[in-house]
This record gives sequence, structure tokens and C-alpha cells, in this order.
Amino acid sequence: MDRKKQFTEGLITNNPVLVQQIGMCATMAITTTLFNGVGMGLSVLIILTCCNVVISAIRHIIPGEIRLAIFVVVIAGFVTIVDLLLQAFVPALSEALGVFIPLIVVNCIIIGRAEAFCQKMPVKDSFFDGIFQGLGYTCVLIVMCVVREFLGSGRFGGGLIDISNGFRFTLDGTGAGIQIFPESYGASILSLPFGGFLTLGFLIAAMQYALKKAEDKKAKKAEKEKEAEK
Amino acid sequence: MNKILKLALVLLAVSAIVAGVLGVINELTYPVIDAQKQAKTAEAFASVLKADRFDEIEFDNPDFPTVLTVHKAEGVGYVVTSKFSGAQGNITLAVGVDNDYKCTGISVIEHSETSGLGANAASTGEVGVNFRKQFVGQDESIALSNAGGSIDALTGATITSRAITEAVATSIQAVKTLG
Repeated sequence: MDRKKQFTEGLITNNPVLVQQIGMCATMAITTTLFNGVGMGLSVLIILTCCNVVISAIRHIIPGEIRLAIFVVVIAGFVTIVDLLLQAFVPALSEALGVFIPLIVVNCIIIGRAEAFCQKMPVKDSFFDGIFQGLGYTCVLIVMCVVREFLGSGRFGGGLIDISNGFRFTLDGTGAGIQIFPESYGASILSLPFGGFLTLGFLIAAMQYALKKAEDKKAKKAEKEKEAEK
Repeated sequence: MNKILKLALVLLAVSAIVAGVLGVINELTYPVIDAQKQAKTAEAFASVLKADRFDEIEFDNPDFPTVLTVHKAEGVGYVVTSKFSGAQGNITLAVGVDNDYKCTGISVIEHSETSGLGANAASTGEVGVNFRKQFVGQDESIALSNAGGSIDALTGATITSRAITEAVATSIQAVKTLG
């Protein structure tokens, strides 16, 4: 399978959130600071890749009737592992994301990819599918976090960047971020769940517009070629 | 019949493997998580009441079902931990109470509130610090500003704020019953 095509599919043409429109609940809920976005994105990426590999590896021995039950057991297993590891080694992230880490179990990106891709594809392709789809998800989260954080509270990189003592990355979520304009001037509605809906709506619209444009261009090109042939 | 048996066995096998792996991971991470929880509780106690040592005293009053433990700091006051419902799940809160039955500070030990809203009650950022500062010096008549008190609720997290405010009042009342 073409890796480049898989890559563009994951990030753009078949992006899990913006095009397949799955896994949107957590997307709206946790994108309040860059720290949350990156943490959630990476957690999903890791869980998705592990689940894809395992499900693809056992795809021949899973009976079709109970495949969903088995998918859920495998997914729940990996989610619990990541949850425990986060609690033990990155407690700040585990606290910030709270209930949304256990909720990855029912995140439809993971079960969606298992059902649509991994149960038919070899392990290697499933592995890359997990990485690229996970990256696509992470990118959307990062864009949403940056937009909501900037417009909502005038900050960039909350939790992840600290500039009070020179520029450095804080991996324990304590950095205050870079204040671009005073917090009181921010439209705090964007930090609320409503702002998540709004931001995601605009992002999806922009994505669909761009995809439609690219498609029209392609169609026109094909038409011209046809005419030239005549 | 055979088919059903086979399905059940496959599901059992997969579940058993996953359960085994989880057991190992839990065994590995449990001590770390537990140590962190204890350190956090100790830190929470120190941040709500300035005292050298805290001794747990027995507290078993059916009128206060939410109170978990009461610790006495000799001559300084008490620290009450309580567990109650927030907006999303349970909140565990440590409340410092001095001998005049005034709150000396609060600290959220555990919670599962919405990130960016209710979770601000526990955050180390400016919003969280300012929110928790309001409780210092309050007595049991404490209430949110929209209910006639002086505590400003967190933006978009009225339920969390109200739950915490009520828990502080309950904690002070619990200390009062100790005489």
C-alpha cells in the first residue's frame, strides 16, 4: 500500500475528525490548552496504533459474529494501560484530561478504524494507518487548541511552554504559556464547550471548502484532457 | 451448539489475555500512583493549615456522610477531608479549619471535573489560586455570591463551585460538633 497516500488520507483527505467526522466529543471538550491537546492527541495516537496492530494481527482468528466485542476488549485493555501509565508518570496530564482518557474506549476513531481498515488489512498497513490517522487527529486538536486558547484567553501554549525563566517546554503542565494580549480581553465563550462547537464547525467548513475546490480543479483538468483528445 | 461454544471460548481467551496484561501493568504502576496520592494528600494538608503534624481523630457522625477523615493539628485547628459530587464525578477536598471555626484554606485532592471549566478549581494557575483564596477566613455561613454570599463562582462551573462551597460549610459544621 502507498504510504504517501495513506499519509495524505490521514492528515487531509480522510482526516478522522474533519472528513470522517468521528471522535468529535472529546475534540470539543478537551481542546482548551495546548498541553491538553497534545497530550490527548498523543494518547489516542499510541492507543490507536497498538489496537490497529493487535486487531490486524488476530484478524484471521476473530469470528465475525463477535468481532465488535473483541475489538472493545482489546481497546479497553490498551486504554487502561495508557491511563495507568499516565497516572503514574504524567499525573498532571491525567488530571487535566480527567474522564476523557477512560472515554477513549468508546472513541469511535479507534473502533471505526478497526472495523473499516484493520480487519481486512495486513499488520504493516494497519500500523501506519494508526500513526497517520492519529497524527491527523492530533493536528486537528492542536489547531483547535491554538485557536481557542488565543481567542479565548489571549494565550499560546498553555501548560506546555513557560517563558518566565527563558523559553522552555514544561512537560508537567505547569507552564503558564505566552500571554499575547491580556486575558480579560479574550472572548471567554471560546473556552466554553460552545466555543468548541463553533471552532470545530468553522474548521470542518474550511476543510470541506478546500477539498471541494481541489476536486473541482481535478474534474476540470480531466475534462480539458478529454476535449484535447477529441 | 459447537459454534456458540467456539465463540465463547475465543472471547474468553482474548479477555483472559487482556486481563493478565492489565494485572501486570497494575502491579507495576500501583506503588507509583499510591505514593503520588499520599504525597498529594500531605501537600494538600500543608497548604490548607500551617501545622507541624496532623493526627487523625475518630469521626463517625451519621449527620455528615460526606466527611471522610478529620485530622487534628494540636493548638492550630483541624483538616477535614470530604468526598462529594461535583458536576461530573466525585470531588475529594481538604478543608483547613482553625479553632475559631474559620476556613484557613482549601485544596482539591481528587476530581474529575471538566477540563478548563470545573477543573480550574484545582488548577495551579491564576484562576484556581484566586478561586481558592476566596475561602480563607470564611465561616459556616459561606455561600456563592448569587446566593447572597461572597464567593464568586468559576466561569461556566457553577455546579462545581456550589458543591465546593457547600462542602466547606459542611466541613466547618463537622468540626463544630467536635466541640
